[in-house]
Amino acid sequence: MYGNAYIDPSDKAAAMIAGEDSEKLEAFEKRIAAGEKIEPKDWMPKEYRKQLIRMIEQHAHSEIIGALPEGTWITRAPGFRRKLALMAKVQDEVGHAQLLYSAAETLGKSREAMINDLITGKSKYSNVFNYPAFTWADACVIAWLIDAGAIINQVANAKGSYGPYCRALDRICTEESFHLKYGHDNVVTLATGTQKQREMVQGALTRWWPPIMHFFGPSDKISNHTEILMRWKVKMASNDDMRQQFLNMYVPKIWDLGLVLPDPNLKQNEAGVWEYTEPDWDEFKRVINGGGPCNAERLAVRRNAEERGRWVREALNTSESKYIVPLA
Amino acid sequence: MIKSLDPRVTRAEIEIENPIAPLNELDQWETYEVFHQKKRGDQHMHVGIVHAPNAEMAFLFGKEQYGRRGLSVNIWVVKTRDVFVSEYDDSDIFDTVPEKQYREAGGYKVMAKINKYKKGV
Amino acid sequence: MNQNSSEAIKELLYKMADDLLIIGHRNSEWTGLGPILEEDISFSSMAQDKIGQAQALYQLLNDLGEQEPDTVAFTRNANQFHNAQLVELPNGEYDFSLVRHFLYDHADQLRFEALANSSYEPLAKVARKVKGELKYHVFHANTWMVKLGSANEESHNRMQAAFNEAWNYALGMFEKSSFEDQLIAEGVFEGEETLQEKWLANITPYLIKAGIEIPASTSWNPVFGGRIGNHTANLSPLVEEMSEVFRFDPTAEW
Repeated sequence: MYGNAYIDPSDKAAAMIAGEDSEKLEAFEKRIAAGEKIEPKDWMPKEYRKQLIRMIEQHAHSEIIGALPEGTWITRAPGFRRKLALMAKVQDEVGHAQLLYSAAETLGKSREAMINDLITGKSKYSNVFNYPAFTWADACVIAWLIDAGAIINQVANAKGSYGPYCRALDRICTEESFHLKYGHDNVVTLATGTQKQREMVQGALTRWWPPIMHFFGPSDKISNHTEILMRWKVKMASNDDMRQQFLNMYVPKIWDLGLVLPDPNLKQNEAGVWEYTEPDWDEFKRVINGGGPCNAERLAVRRNAEERGRWVREALNTSESKYIVPLA
Repeated sequence: MIKSLDPRVTRAEIEIENPIAPLNELDQWETYEVFHQKKRGDQHMHVGIVHAPNAEMAFLFGKEQYGRRGLSVNIWVVKTRDVFVSEYDDSDIFDTVPEKQYREAGGYKVMAKINKYKKGV
Repeated sequence: MNQNSSEAIKELLYKMADDLLIIGHRNSEWTGLGPILEEDISFSSMAQDKIGQAQALYQLLNDLGEQEPDTVAFTRNANQFHNAQLVELPNGEYDFSLVRHFLYDHADQLRFEALANSSYEPLAKVARKVKGELKYHVFHANTWMVKLGSANEESHNRMQAAFNEAWNYALGMFEKSSFEDQLIAEGVFEGEETLQEKWLANITPYLIKAGIEIPASTSWNPVFGGRIGNHTANLSPLVEEMSEVFRFDPTAEW
């Protein structure tokens, strides 16, 4: 219950609400606790706005950068069915970026500012897209398992407190369910196909397993900071909980296909909890900070795309255009 | 020059160090609010925004961003800045006192009178 | 249908399907790399439509005894393709891609429009089905052509330069086949000459609005050859790219 709590000035959580109008804060928290959504023009704590912008913006960046590893295979997708589906899937990712940037815009950060922060490396995106898609099977594994992971995260966040983000996520989750089916269909086709196809998909799975285990991030440190974010329904589930949910849903499906996961310690214990070798979090940090195999290429490609499109955008800008923050 | 796994990227001859000038304000154009009608007879519903330089393009973009799965039969686009918006802070403006029953169907209860009349006849 | 008409129809179907497949491939290269998110989505939808339309036409060929659509589309060599050279040219910058889209889609729409009344009913049926998609494609092309042609000096110059570059290749779309007279006589198709006239009449008003000039007709020099398998050096690498995964294991189902 907020209002009577002693606020320790040295607590980071205290900084999150320092200076906020306690009456407004109470009404805000009451609204969230009652399951109501916060809308763009509602009063909100500065830290709530800041954390949401950071989170939604990173999510948007992940979609537009995520279009690159799979886009690698657009011109080479085998056959009409696969080619059309892959084009539609990558297109959806671009569409998701559009929806998410729009949601973040309602919090007051312009799309230009977000793109600028992406292409200068100031703002992050999901680490997993800094790995290369060497073969067609890599694109298939991404479509199945990375999208599966994303759905777990997005379904949780769709129950969050910020209206525009929830609405975007509802639409995104609907589309991702096609991605997941498409990815699964591809992996099943390869795994039940010829020897060469099986080897190809096994190779891709072995390569992608470490980034997949990194996908949900390291275990959360229990702090008052995360506690407040959970109370505000900005953070909806712990990283470990999401990882468990993912393993529970997908490891059996992978094993069903006779594919091998490169972790001898991976197993479900008697309590139903998945045990695994602790992922290499130093590698995770190294890649986040720019040291992954594709970080430099991904950003260079984005900068190139922005630059090549600049004359198109500039030409159509009229002097009477005026930007105001989108409504919802 | 990037030698990429993606042939499209290799063809584009991209330097790995390619700093660009930041995008200016309005680089991404202004926004239009998009409303679509799912099927004839339905009300149009707000579905989101598009960034566009003019109304025709806002339509072209809105149609694909919000209707590409065949979910729309009609689309409206309107400049965000042309929409007048009420404030949530003023949401008490929508409150009404309970006595305004005269404008509700439930405010009219005739059965009691009819029954009384019937008994009396 | 006699043997002759069948060959004539196949030739028509091949060139249409190959045009659609190759331009669809080229346009799909922009997916994720377009000038702004919204346009990226729109352009990708149209690329998907093109490839879907190509598939429908390869299916008609399959019904006439040719191999499966996937086999035909993804395993031939470049010199077996009947597309106009216009569609195989690299994307270049967005100006060229838009100009090609404008020139090609107007022709494509008119071709399908004429074929909606074809005596060859299976093709007429496909033509009627794609009408809505083509309407969007042409509206998209017109809007961009008019806006960018007349926006600022840079965009005008770029569009005009791209137009000049594409023009003779665009005229090459109307290369006649040896079956031309027969297709016309049998009411299958109205013929390339009529199509070109209609096309010119359709694109001109938009070009005037855009301030884009058509080169003087004395300088017209249509780039023919695509319809009989002569292509630029750009097609072969594209076709190889398209079939790379198939070739990895030709016995497999993908």
